[in-house]
Amino acid sequence: MKIKWLIRSQSIVTLASGMIYPYYLLFLKNLGNSYSKYGLAFAVFTLSSAITSQVLASRLDSRAHEILVLSSIGMMIAMVAFPWVLHFAWVIVLQLLMGICNAMQRTSERVLLADHTTKGDRGKDIGNYHFWTSIASGFAVIVGGYMIDWLTIDVLFYISAVLYGVSAWMIGRNSKTKAKSKLSIEKV
Amino acid sequence: MDQKLRLLWKKETIAFVLLFTLCLWNYKYTDALDQDPYLITDYSRLHPVKVEKVVAGKEKEQLIQLIKEAKRKHLTISIAGQRHSQGGHTYYKDGIVIDMTSYNKILAFDPAKKKITVQAGATWKEIQEKINPYHLSIKTMQSQNIFTVGGSISINAHGRDIRNGSMIKSVESFRLLTAEGKIIQVSRTENADLFPLVLGGFGLYGVILDVTLTLTDDELYRMTTGSVSVDHYTDYFLQQVKGNPKMRMHIARISIAPSNFLQDMYVLNYKQEKSVPFTKYNQLEEREKWIIPSKIGFQINRNFDWGKEVFWKLQRKFIFSQNNKLISRNNVMRSESEFMEYKGIGENDLLQEYFIPVHQFAPFVADMRKVLKGSNVNLLNITVRYVNKDQEATLSYANSDMFALVCLFHVSLDDKGQKAFRGHIQQIIDVAEKYHGTYYLPYAPYPTVKQYQRAYPNYQRFYQKKNQYDPDHLFMNYFYQQYVKESGS
Repeated sequence: MKIKWLIRSQSIVTLASGMIYPYYLLFLKNLGNSYSKYGLAFAVFTLSSAITSQVLASRLDSRAHEILVLSSIGMMIAMVAFPWVLHFAWVIVLQLLMGICNAMQRTSERVLLADHTTKGDRGKDIGNYHFWTSIASGFAVIVGGYMIDWLTIDVLFYISAVLYGVSAWMIGRNSKTKAKSKLSIEKV
Repeated sequence: MDQKLRLLWKKETIAFVLLFTLCLWNYKYTDALDQDPYLITDYSRLHPVKVEKVVAGKEKEQLIQLIKEAKRKHLTISIAGQRHSQGGHTYYKDGIVIDMTSYNKILAFDPAKKKITVQAGATWKEIQEKINPYHLSIKTMQSQNIFTVGGSISINAHGRDIRNGSMIKSVESFRLLTAEGKIIQVSRTENADLFPLVLGGFGLYGVILDVTLTLTDDELYRMTTGSVSVDHYTDYFLQQVKGNPKMRMHIARISIAPSNFLQDMYVLNYKQEKSVPFTKYNQLEEREKWIIPSKIGFQINRNFDWGKEVFWKLQRKFIFSQNNKLISRNNVMRSESEFMEYKGIGENDLLQEYFIPVHQFAPFVADMRKVLKGSNVNLLNITVRYVNKDQEATLSYANSDMFALVCLFHVSLDDKGQKAFRGHIQQIIDVAEKYHGTYYLPYAPYPTVKQYQRAYPNYQRFYQKKNQYDPDHLFMNYFYQQYVKESGS
């Protein structure tokens, strides 16, 4: 399978996000007294995500690897920062950052999926990709619940940050391997 | 290729079955009554029940309408704040629960007169944030600031302050929404009969709408720490703490480590410091520090005897490292609590509290040690605070100058575990009674009705007045059902 590294790295990304996401929603709800404030936090996320996708669009074909690495690094930073946030304004800033990362991850992941699969032979790989990322998410969310009960939600943010870091490293390593092999082919 | 496909299929099947099994196990493991999200309970998670509805308190008029609705439909009303009481004081089966946490505005603040009027759902934290810039401070409250004002005065709470008297003393007046749907002003001069009934009245006389509190100056304290044995604690406190007018606040902790179980203590005093400029220290501390390591430490303390030894040593070391540290009064009154939060399924950490006359402290602890040594009760923590004699509230606990021993136990919530634990608690209350002590009412209903009657000799009056002011028992909770009604009728 050509996209094994992509499945693995994105399973880790799903693990990192799946672990924190449902609890993050509760965490955000507790920050605001109203659902409208909660809605605002998510609206800014979609805003930055939408703008970023337009900025990235022309670069996606040539830079998908780097963009995917950057998205994981950005999410890692956001996850480390969340436990230290004391004001709602900072939540908005982090939501903006996460919106950017979300656009980077979603778009580059799709481009890479398309690049590394062949027309007419994509179904199996994409099905596999979905399967493993869903399974990873399922395990993560159950373990995440116990982690919060046993420790605090902050620990979950930090573990999530580590996982994003690992995924960035995995994608980065793969893109270097790719570049090397491309170079050696060119030399030949 | 076929073989490879089969292998993959196998891997996917295994992963799926594993996750499915984990979900099933998780369902089974969390399928306990205390985990049912459709039932209402309090911090104890004991006795969850279905209620008619939970209504967020928003407007005065809405609350009046709610009273009318409850009367029309013959429903009961229970009043809830942060729901940290542990004996079913904030809900009742099939009744309406008014959640007052959203009824939390600051209505008036007069820094010159040192007075503040807040809606009952406001938390101490919200008041602190308002008054801190004016160098003012709350007179008496719990060690933590997460509780609502309405809830705190309904349980007649106390804290670390040793100079400002009980919480009741700092309450000037309040407005009460009565069972008749009327709003009345209650103070020591207006509707004075209700004043000592509502304060420490567990929401049985009406909905406290807003409260006017008197404030004191924020001050700078120097922390001093030390070790003392249980036997010498009373002398130490009277001479070094109570006898020194500069000492403003005090808390002590008794060891629960098996090697010196209920024998060693450490103390933490807050001494007024005037020689250092206050302005450097009067920013409110917003974050709880060291939560993760403290929580891990407390988990070990909860689960292992060796953990109790280690945790006691670490805790003492940490407290001693605070010696000489300067801290504002407001920051003392926003102590850490998150590290002790516990959400285990089918088990919980529950509080019990005993008030013991100052001179009876050592013999009481010695007898308590005997009761606990012969049991398998898992005691996690005991803190000691001082409470002045105050008998203003009808159900007052401080019938002399006393030490309050706040005990945190880890207990199983199942019937068998509860039955065994109840027996031990009743034994400890017998010991407290032997030394002319009392126990605190906001916690789980382990004491017998007779023990309640002996600890609270005004129980008849409380019952009679309840029936006078609320003859249809509109305001209802499990404290009324299990103790007030049982003892009065």
